[in-house]
Amino acid sequence: MANAEQIAAQIMSSKSLCVSSSWLNSFLASSQRNVPVSALTKTALFRVLASDIRESLTTNPTSLFPVDISDPAVQERRIPGPIPVQVLDIEDIGTSLWSQVEAIERIERGEAIRGREIVRTVNVGDDNEGAETGSSSNAPAGAPSVSGSSGSGPHRLILQDANGTKAVAIEMQHIEGISLEKLPIGAKILLRNATVARGMVLLNVNCSTLLGGKIEALDKPWKEGRKARLLQRIDSMRDEANQSG
Amino acid sequence: MTSVIGHLTGLDFDHQYKGWMSCPPGALFEAPVQEDVDKDKKPIADNIRNQARYSKALFIWTDCDREGEHIGSEVRNQAKAGNARIEVKRARFSNTERAHVLQAAREPVELDEYQANAVAARIELDLRIGAAFTRLQTLQLQAVSAILKEKIISYGSCQFPTLGFVVDRYLRVQNFKPETFWSIKVMLQREGKKVNFLWRRVHLYDRAAVTMMLERCLMAKQAKVTKVNQKPKSKWRPLPLTTVDLQMMGSRFLRIDSQTIMKVAEALYTKGFISYPRTETDQFDKAIDLKKLVEKQFPDNQWGQYAKDLIDGKFRTPRSGRHNDKAHPPIHPVCWVSASQLNVNEKKVYEFVVRRFLACCSEDAKGQGTDIEIQYGEEFFHASGLIVLERNYLDVYVYDKWESSQQLPNFERGEVFEPTEANISEGKTTAPSYLTEPELIGLMDANGIGTDATMAEHIAKIKEREYVVVNTRGSGRSKVEELIPTRLGIALVEGYDNVVAGLPNSISLSKPFLRKEMELRMLEICAGSKTRQEVVQQSLDMYREVFIHTQRRIEMLKAACRKYLNEQPAS
Repeated sequence: MANAEQIAAQIMSSKSLCVSSSWLNSFLASSQRNVPVSALTKTALFRVLASDIRESLTTNPTSLFPVDISDPAVQERRIPGPIPVQVLDIEDIGTSLWSQVEAIERIERGEAIRGREIVRTVNVGDDNEGAETGSSSNAPAGAPSVSGSSGSGPHRLILQDANGTKAVAIEMQHIEGISLEKLPIGAKILLRNATVARGMVLLNVNCSTLLGGKIEALDKPWKEGRKARLLQRIDSMRDEANQSG
Repeated sequence: MTSVIGHLTGLDFDHQYKGWMSCPPGALFEAPVQEDVDKDKKPIADNIRNQARYSKALFIWTDCDREGEHIGSEVRNQAKAGNARIEVKRARFSNTERAHVLQAAREPVELDEYQANAVAARIELDLRIGAAFTRLQTLQLQAVSAILKEKIISYGSCQFPTLGFVVDRYLRVQNFKPETFWSIKVMLQREGKKVNFLWRRVHLYDRAAVTMMLERCLMAKQAKVTKVNQKPKSKWRPLPLTTVDLQMMGSRFLRIDSQTIMKVAEALYTKGFISYPRTETDQFDKAIDLKKLVEKQFPDNQWGQYAKDLIDGKFRTPRSGRHNDKAHPPIHPVCWVSASQLNVNEKKVYEFVVRRFLACCSEDAKGQGTDIEIQYGEEFFHASGLIVLERNYLDVYVYDKWESSQQLPNFERGEVFEPTEANISEGKTTAPSYLTEPELIGLMDANGIGTDATMAEHIAKIKEREYVVVNTRGSGRSKVEELIPTRLGIALVEGYDNVVAGLPNSISLSKPFLRKEMELRMLEICAGSKTRQEVVQQSLDMYREVFIHTQRRIEMLKAACRKYLNEQPAS
């Protein structure tokens, strides 16, 4: 069992992930003997990142969200952590849902894939010498950007801890690696000293470390169902508007 | 000295292929074709042959562009038929101003066979592809709906992508779903002025997140000035005028449709007032004496004084764009003409060409810009101000607007203040508007549909075929002419899109890609890197593939027509 302890210690020191001993034991039982510890550690880490952390990590209270994390009555609190979490959902809240649908449809029609064969769009009447008029040329409110999803974010994520508690997180500052294309569902993030405001975890460069990984069983259906979900949300938004107005 | 009117000859299928039922439409990809002098051009051709008999040399003065080169080659063929030993030269010119014409006459050049061949290839491709698809779709679709019974449903490889742009935008407008977004606005009252700061994030589509962000701003109480930038700003004078720009700007500022603009511009060119109006070049050659052209505008009582000021020291060498067709200079006035000698449209177009030219030869407009950025909580906001100091080219180019904004009060970098107001504002996304003609020209240009010389014709064609109608919205200065597809127009685009849906590497005829590839091959003929035969074969193969798919899946095309044409409008 010296192996199990060594591996757990290494993953702990390199990634601050506390692997559960039952998960580690079954991992070791299924792996070949006579493999050096360093190689085993590598494989174990890869598997952890591809796993559901509710099964692979321990539920130590300091590495979990407070159970009432989503309470909107709490104006601000700090959670020291470190808390490993996995991404269950990601949305771009800087781009309208409809323009994201249009972008997906362009890809479905094959227009974005064949490379040079993109119907080029033009902006008549826009100042093509924007250099001098400065920021007043900001995207006109409401007009969806011509290229569809700009992917600029910020993004809203749904994160889950090892106990299964979920929380909404907002990307307050651009974080490299957080984008619809680059961040798969099931990717692991480590939160340290994160601020939670009105039930939302505020992500910035200092408090979040992207560990990578993904959960294939979640990522694939998420991608396939994205357009349908966007359309559904657009519909439900309209229903709400009709009811309230 | 004699003249021609456009092309002398036409290309057509041999007699036995001319009837609509004479052969399967697909046979037209290979059916023999023949070049003949058009019936109504026979006297012109006879005249050229006769005159050639008594002449030693032929000097061709057709327009200096691809079509002109091809017409020149037709003239030469007739002349050689009359007199095999006749010497043939062509004049290279781009306006009809006296000195320029004399210069061209002194230095004649050879006809450019490459360019003539490119046109010949284009004519053959347009004939074969156009006839094959027109026959196929007309014969198949006539039976589908009573409305189509007597109709010829024509196909053209430029028309369809042009229609495709109109339909694409129309569907985007129809399908659009509005959404609510939220923004944070910060206002400060200082020195009796209200300064509005705009959010760097512009707006977000999540109310809870925006509310939380605003709360965190308010919690911070104080905002801090992080940047104060004072910098000179300038608004650049326009580039020299190309045909596409003339059509786009013309339909936007002068409210004349692009085809009319081109007709008017041609009339002005023929009368010698402006240079050749078909050009892609947006840079003036160094050899051209621009000051002399400016001087010619002295007599005008609207911009004459401006022209004098240019010559008295304000003249600047025009900016150079990136395009040069190596045949013609940018469109510019050749000499001055009194407005009283021009009709209404001529006056507008001439005035635009002159003002644009004078603007090109002027100094940029100069101003002083101020950008202020503040950090409030974790969020950033900015305000900017502009003072126009020197209007320069704007004085003559009345179409551009650049005005001073409200003046900003003073801010110091690092200072902190408490904003007077910070709140959330709500807005809704709005649908794009229907396509306008200037936008359509821009799309055609960007996607390689047609040439500067033919774009306006393609647009006129889809209107004439009743694939598209023009809808006028608003009135007076805010009048907008929108292009709306008819039911038939939508049905054709949807039908052809469905024909290739799911087929790998097949491109719908409603998309610009096939035609663009063909257009690029024309350029290869002009450059001498491909022969006319190679290009014709390659392009025919490309379209034949789509033709075969269309034949096999013709049901899809019919279904689309049934869907849009036979559906009873809801009463």
